[in-house]
Amino acid sequence: MSGEKREKFSKGGDWADIHRRLEDARLAVDREPSPAEKKGMLRKRARALAKEPEAAEQGEHAWFLEFLLAHERYGIESSYVREVLPIKDLAPVPCTPSFVLGIINVRGQIISVLDLKKFLDLPEKGLGDLNKVIIIAKGDMEFGVLADVILGIRNVPLKGLQQRIPTLSGVGEEFFRGVTVEGLILLDAGRILKDKLIVVNEEVF
Amino acid sequence: MYGPKEERRMKWFANLATRTKLFLGFGMVFVILTAVILTAYMGLISIKSSQSNLYQKDFIPAMNIGKLLADQNRTRADIEEVMLTKNKAKQQAMEQDIKDRENKITELINFAIGNLKSENDQAAVKKMDELNSVREDYRKTRDEQFALIQEGKVKDARQLSMGIQEQRYVRIRNLASELMNTETKHAQARVEASNAMAGKMVLVFILAGVAAFALSLIAVFVLNGMISKPLKEISGAAEKMSGGDLSVDVSIEDRNDEVGALSKAFGRMIAYLQEMAAMAKRIAGNDLTISTNPLSPKDTLGNSFADMVHNLKRMNREVMDSVTVLASSASEILSSTTEVASSVTETATSVNETTTTVEEVKQTAQVASQKARQVSEAAQKAVQVSQMGERAVDETIEKMARIRLQMESIAESIVKLSEQSQAIGEIIGAVNDLAEQSNLLAVNASIEAAKAGEHGKGFTVVAQEVKSLAGQSKQATAQVRTILSDIQKATSAAVLATEQGSKTVEEGVKQSGQSGEAIKMLAGSIAEAAQAATQIAASSQQQLVGMEQVITAMNSIKLASEQNVTGTKQTETAAHALNELGQKLKLLMAQYRV
Repeated sequence: MSGEKREKFSKGGDWADIHRRLEDARLAVDREPSPAEKKGMLRKRARALAKEPEAAEQGEHAWFLEFLLAHERYGIESSYVREVLPIKDLAPVPCTPSFVLGIINVRGQIISVLDLKKFLDLPEKGLGDLNKVIIIAKGDMEFGVLADVILGIRNVPLKGLQQRIPTLSGVGEEFFRGVTVEGLILLDAGRILKDKLIVVNEEVF
Repeated sequence: MYGPKEERRMKWFANLATRTKLFLGFGMVFVILTAVILTAYMGLISIKSSQSNLYQKDFIPAMNIGKLLADQNRTRADIEEVMLTKNKAKQQAMEQDIKDRENKITELINFAIGNLKSENDQAAVKKMDELNSVREDYRKTRDEQFALIQEGKVKDARQLSMGIQEQRYVRIRNLASELMNTETKHAQARVEASNAMAGKMVLVFILAGVAAFALSLIAVFVLNGMISKPLKEISGAAEKMSGGDLSVDVSIEDRNDEVGALSKAFGRMIAYLQEMAAMAKRIAGNDLTISTNPLSPKDTLGNSFADMVHNLKRMNREVMDSVTVLASSASEILSSTTEVASSVTETATSVNETTTTVEEVKQTAQVASQKARQVSEAAQKAVQVSQMGERAVDETIEKMARIRLQMESIAESIVKLSEQSQAIGEIIGAVNDLAEQSNLLAVNASIEAAKAGEHGKGFTVVAQEVKSLAGQSKQATAQVRTILSDIQKATSAAVLATEQGSKTVEEGVKQSGQSGEAIKMLAGSIAEAAQAATQIAASSQQQLVGMEQVITAMNSIKLASEQNVTGTKQTETAAHALNELGQKLKLLMAQYRV
């Protein structure tokens, strides 16, 4: 191979090829796609994205925010979710339980951030990005939980949920609503929000 | 000649001395003759006795009987006379005469009776007895007559004479004549017997003569066999021996006579001679191990043999020693000659080789001369070529420097490219961030839409779309990032390659410099080489001349060494012959067993 290449170079024939390829590249970069091409592309996209309209309401359905935490998919009912944010300037707060990571400033509002893994006593499965915050709220209660990746909103049928979660045991069982057939773990945000543990009222002198 | 039995029987005879044998032989003939003589004598004696018998027993009795008759007659007559005469004296004389006659007759008769008795003629004896008794009666009656006469009774006496006496007288006469006849017959028989005896005697003589002749013949044969034959045999053996043939065998009979002694002595002589011959044969067969025992100081042959063997042994030893010395010297000479021959041959070969080598060297010198000239020319050319090379190297160095500059510019361009791609990376990061934010925004929108319920459904779709776009952007940025990373890698590689290229060029420059130096040095060396080659050419020319001389010398040496080879070969042959001679002598000597 190298011999051949060298031969070509020595002949000087390959330089022309190289020049040609460079020209092609330059043209490709500079060229604007034609309207027809654009249309084709868009159509392709549309076809790729096209989805069957969701089946008629069969039983109870609910919208859930799907996110990844420690390589597991979790869902939180969207009615409890105020918004999702990229985490920025997390300030740790001393004298708080271990599941309280700190506080952030969301458009002037101070919101505490929890680590669900620690709060629900979930098994640690390696490190995640933990660079997203899901702010959940019910009434006055409002706080953020950390997530690795936000996957999106999903309409989940509440029938046929598996109640038993083999990976969980003990402490956090009451905060789970079940597991869908796809393996999405649904959290009961209402209960989490009502839990008294969340409220930290500690004085330190 | 004789059977074993006979031989045994003859043995005692054979053992007798020859004298005795002769004596015996002749003695036997003598005995036979004596026997014949005795027989003849006996015959004669018997004839004589029969003659005397005839005379005494037959003739005398006959005569006596005749006398008896006569006497009887006389007595009768006397008685008559007595009766007639009266003379008393006369009567008495007569009586006496008668009585004397009577006694004579009685005597005769007794003789006759004895004779007859010896003849065993009973009839005759009876007659004699009868005669005697008759006579007795007659005598008694006569005595009565005498008594009557005395008494003078002559008449009575006469009567008696005429009567009974007469009868008695007749009886006596008859008896006497009968007896006479008998005697005559006896005489005749005796004559006949005598004649028969004489005939017998003649026969006996003949037989005895024949027997004596036969026995004499046998004795001659036997003695011939006993004495002459062995002597003849011995003399034949002696004759053979005189002809040098010792293989004779005298059948020595074990006998104690002179022949036996002779044959024994002869046998011993043969044995001795054979022993000597065997000894001589062994000596002739080179065997000196024999032991010679002379039988006596007078044994000239034995002593001579002993001396001869002794001398031969001594001589043999001396010769042996000399031969051994000779053989060893010969073999040493041979070995040294062989060595000399081989070394001479080697020398000749070496000289040959040397000559060849010198020839080769000469040729080599010629070649070297030629080559040296060629080298000189080639060196001239090489110097020119190296000058050209030098120039080429200088040009190369220049070009190399230019290449280095270009390389540097290439590297710079590539680094710039890399920096630019870094900027692109930054931009992409920003885009990625934007996409992420868009994504979150879309999610938030979705949440809001969900909160809006049925009214927010359309908004949900929009939000989904936005989210999708954000995802695609993210993917695109990821692709761009990948490409960028590839570009980064490529540029690094390019930078590295250019760096290496520039280094290589630098090395090339250095190498070219060295090449230039080398070429310069080469040119110098070549010039020197050219000079040297010229010198070589000159010296090889000289060498050639020298080689010619050497060749001439070597040829003479070769000639000499060839002559040497021939000479040594002759010497070797001579030494071989000498060695062989020595070995042969040794072998010959080894044949002697000392």
